[in-house]
Amino acid sequence: MKTTFLKAIAVAGLTASSIAAHAVTELTFWHAMAGRNGEMVTTIVNQFNESQSEYRLTAINKGGYEDTMTAGIAAFRARNAPHIIQVFDAGAATIINAKGAVYPVQDLLEDSGAAFDKNDYLSGVRYFYADSDGKMIGMPFNSSTPLLYYNKEALKKAGIAEPPATWEEFETIAPKLKAAGYTALSQSHSPWIFSENFHSRHNLPMATGNNGYDTTDVKILYNNDALKMHWSKVKDWLDEGYYGYYGRNWGDNQDAFVQGKVAMWLGSSGSFGNLKQTTDFEFGTTFLPYWSNLIDEPKSTFIGGAALFSFSGHSKDEYKGVAEFFKFLTSPETQLLWHKETGYVAITNAAYDLAQKTNLYKEMPDAEVGMLQLSQESGEWSKGYRLGYYVQIRESLFKNYERLLSGQTSVDSAFHAIEQESNRLLRRFNATYK
Amino acid sequence: MQSHPFKHSWVPYIFVAPQIIIILIFFLWPAGQAVQQSFYREDAFGLSSEFVGFLNYAEVLDDPEYTSTVLFTLLFSALVTVFSIALSLLLAVQANQVIRGADTYKTLLMWAYAIAPPAAGLIGGLLFSPLVGDLYQLLNNIGFDFNHNRNSSDAIFVVVLIAVWKQLSINFIFFLSGLQSVPNSVLEAARIDCPGAIKRFWTITFPLLAPTTFFLLVINTTYAFFETFGIIDLTTKGGPGGSTTTLVYKIYQDGFLGADFGGSSAQSVMLMVFVVVLTVFQFKFIDKKVHY
Amino acid sequence: MQVKTVINKKRLQALFRHSVLISGALFLVMPLWIALMSSTHSPEALFREGLQFLPGSYGYETYSQILMGSDLLSAPAWRMLLNSLILGLGFAIGKVIISMIAAYALVYFRFPLAVPLFWMIFMTLLLPLEVRIIPSYEVVAKLNLLNSYTGLIVPLIASATGTFFFRQFYRSVPAELLEAARIDGAGPLRFFIDILIPLSTTMMAAIFIIMFVAGWNQYLWPLLMTTDPEYYSIVIGIRQVFQTLNEGGTLPQFNIAFGLTVLATIPPVLVVVIFQKMFVKGLVETEK
Repeated sequence: MKTTFLKAIAVAGLTASSIAAHAVTELTFWHAMAGRNGEMVTTIVNQFNESQSEYRLTAINKGGYEDTMTAGIAAFRARNAPHIIQVFDAGAATIINAKGAVYPVQDLLEDSGAAFDKNDYLSGVRYFYADSDGKMIGMPFNSSTPLLYYNKEALKKAGIAEPPATWEEFETIAPKLKAAGYTALSQSHSPWIFSENFHSRHNLPMATGNNGYDTTDVKILYNNDALKMHWSKVKDWLDEGYYGYYGRNWGDNQDAFVQGKVAMWLGSSGSFGNLKQTTDFEFGTTFLPYWSNLIDEPKSTFIGGAALFSFSGHSKDEYKGVAEFFKFLTSPETQLLWHKETGYVAITNAAYDLAQKTNLYKEMPDAEVGMLQLSQESGEWSKGYRLGYYVQIRESLFKNYERLLSGQTSVDSAFHAIEQESNRLLRRFNATYK
Repeated sequence: MQSHPFKHSWVPYIFVAPQIIIILIFFLWPAGQAVQQSFYREDAFGLSSEFVGFLNYAEVLDDPEYTSTVLFTLLFSALVTVFSIALSLLLAVQANQVIRGADTYKTLLMWAYAIAPPAAGLIGGLLFSPLVGDLYQLLNNIGFDFNHNRNSSDAIFVVVLIAVWKQLSINFIFFLSGLQSVPNSVLEAARIDCPGAIKRFWTITFPLLAPTTFFLLVINTTYAFFETFGIIDLTTKGGPGGSTTTLVYKIYQDGFLGADFGGSSAQSVMLMVFVVVLTVFQFKFIDKKVHY
Repeated sequence: MQVKTVINKKRLQALFRHSVLISGALFLVMPLWIALMSSTHSPEALFREGLQFLPGSYGYETYSQILMGSDLLSAPAWRMLLNSLILGLGFAIGKVIISMIAAYALVYFRFPLAVPLFWMIFMTLLLPLEVRIIPSYEVVAKLNLLNSYTGLIVPLIASATGTFFFRQFYRSVPAELLEAARIDGAGPLRFFIDILIPLSTTMMAAIFIIMFVAGWNQYLWPLLMTTDPEYYSIVIGIRQVFQTLNEGGTLPQFNIAFGLTVLATIPPVLVVVIFQKMFVKGLVETEK
């Protein structure tokens, strides 16, 4: 019913525009979504183009997150920027702190007359890409949260009834999994899962200055006892054969789980749809474990993922089209489709309601786990972080964790190096973007 | 060499103009900007910038990671150069002496010149991949705890191996033609003076190949510095633990991925100074050789 | 008795030689062989059983997906191959012509700006594109050349390696030729067209091949400079597939990655193998 209606409008629009010889406004959208997620971006963009006739949006994959961001920066400097660009969590500070590079999403929507209410968005989503006053600068797009996936067969074979809720529990079941012939655990992004979200889960600050939201003059707080304890455990697990590190690429570790070498894998809620297609065993999904000796009730995780930003310097008419697309994108129907097909979380309350109403979670209970984790009580430090040159800081984390795991360096000296390098970068960023 | 025979007012300018115009627009202009950027601190989007003198240079030099990158680059180019030169010399000497199948060997040993570094990186990386790599399996089955995604020495081994693999062909071509240009009379005389084949090689043939070897040293060093980018990008991405980051890869990481233009421009300029030294060295040698 | 040991020694030597050469050839060929064979197996088979040494039955599927378009690639491989061909040919032709005439001016003329211009050309060898890539992008963008073959090719020609190859070559041309031409009353243009060009054909062909391969294999510049999949080259395709392999998600399409690598490798390898003699001669000339 609805689609026919839309089609009718589209047809009417097309005829009208051909009669009036009305020029269609061309818009470009650079993104970093590949594989299944990339297909869904194309689907949504096509639906948007069919839904109206004034604007034509072209979506182009520019490689990985870093590639996309660099291409956007280069294009902006060359006054050739796309209208919309997908920027990942680690790059948010660079684009938000460069005054005048983007047209804040909230302003853009309000200026083009669209109704905008921050409270339409899930609380965990609302602030991650907002400035210190809470104004939304980027439109959260593919938002995900780290989850634990477990191979049900493997757990059964090892005689384990329940997946671990805490790391203490993990330590008791890991030897059983090893005895059953499995590496107990791998994970796909040590900065994201074993650093950033470690802090939000245990309600610990990552950096001074309100995790970097209040100022760029900040210092990193990674060199703390809790995180050091965690990583010395990870190193022990690796040495015992409970933990597998297959490389820093996301896919390397996920694939080891799919191949059945690893019994449990920490990935993203957005990995769900793909795992469903690739695994030949039954798997389950549960919350990110925590240390019960650090916190009694774990807090919610960061939203992570990436957001859409609109570059400054385009015409009013073009921004109107961008606003139209954002409206389309955040409509409950589009959000539900995206949530269902990719496993990324739905970002609005309305979409979450719709998902529940349409019985999505009855059919696919796993799809709700991410939503539930994000709806857990949020702590003082689970709103997000805003740190400059964070791409390089992540590089430093990766690097020092790899050195730690290969035994080249001790836990203490690895975290000392992380602190030194991060603060050096943050100082530089502060001097550049003051 | 000719003593500049034509004196003409405009013809030479017409001839040299296309080259010069392209250089002015696509070389000097951007290179000048790179040098300029190295003295500024600028946000990624070019919205604000501030002159900071040599501060970017000072910060780069003060960074312990930069030092380890320099050391790795030197180690890497030494390993690549030594192994690819030694192996290709061995192959060229043998190929120069076989009669049966000589052409087939030549073709089989020189085709790899044409493979793109990223293609070499992709294949090599997958051969060692913990998920599907046969070489990974093999090495672990025979008792090595091999994982180039985790152990730096393994990673260095993998990138060096792939880089050598890709570079063997070109060295082979140069050595083989170097060997073929050794006059027969010299070889005959050598055979009488010096009956031992190995000794003959080191006392007669190798000195004759010295200019070629020296030339290849320069070529291979440049290769290891710049052209291995595609290999590293498709295998280790500079890891694990930053252990396979070359200078060019670091410029790419800081400037390209990290959006720190001032810092990466300063690194570029420093690299340029190094290349100047290397090229001047090379040029002196080439000019000398032409005149002998 | 003595004759026999000599023969045995010779045989042993030959055996040694052939085994060294065969191992060398295997070392070079095996990786590509495995890539080729693996590209004929299904992604499931590769994922569960590892890489393959023998042909499988999935080759048609792999290559038709690659050539006609796959979700993994923003452009079908035939389009990328065409772009690579344009890039290789454009780069090679441009470079041969421009550097030939520039070298001619530098070697055969005496003119006031010759020395500064020589140094200017010389300088381009010192700073590879990799280290000035972002400013280069800005320049190309300012000239409105993004997503065009001109913008893709011309900045690569700025490095004057070809000019140096030709300069070295001209300097090895005997001076008597020039004297003879002068006695016949030939001017600079006639000398260039009637004598120097015919003399340089092998050299031109060799540099053409070297530059074609170099252009075809370009990586970082096309990666940054093309934002429109219409202009993607096959080497960019390799990177794109690699990216997808790393990101995980769907079952890794190793067959596509290998197939694309094989397709990217075959054309330049064929060129080098077919024109082997010419190419070797040219390469070795440049050393002098």
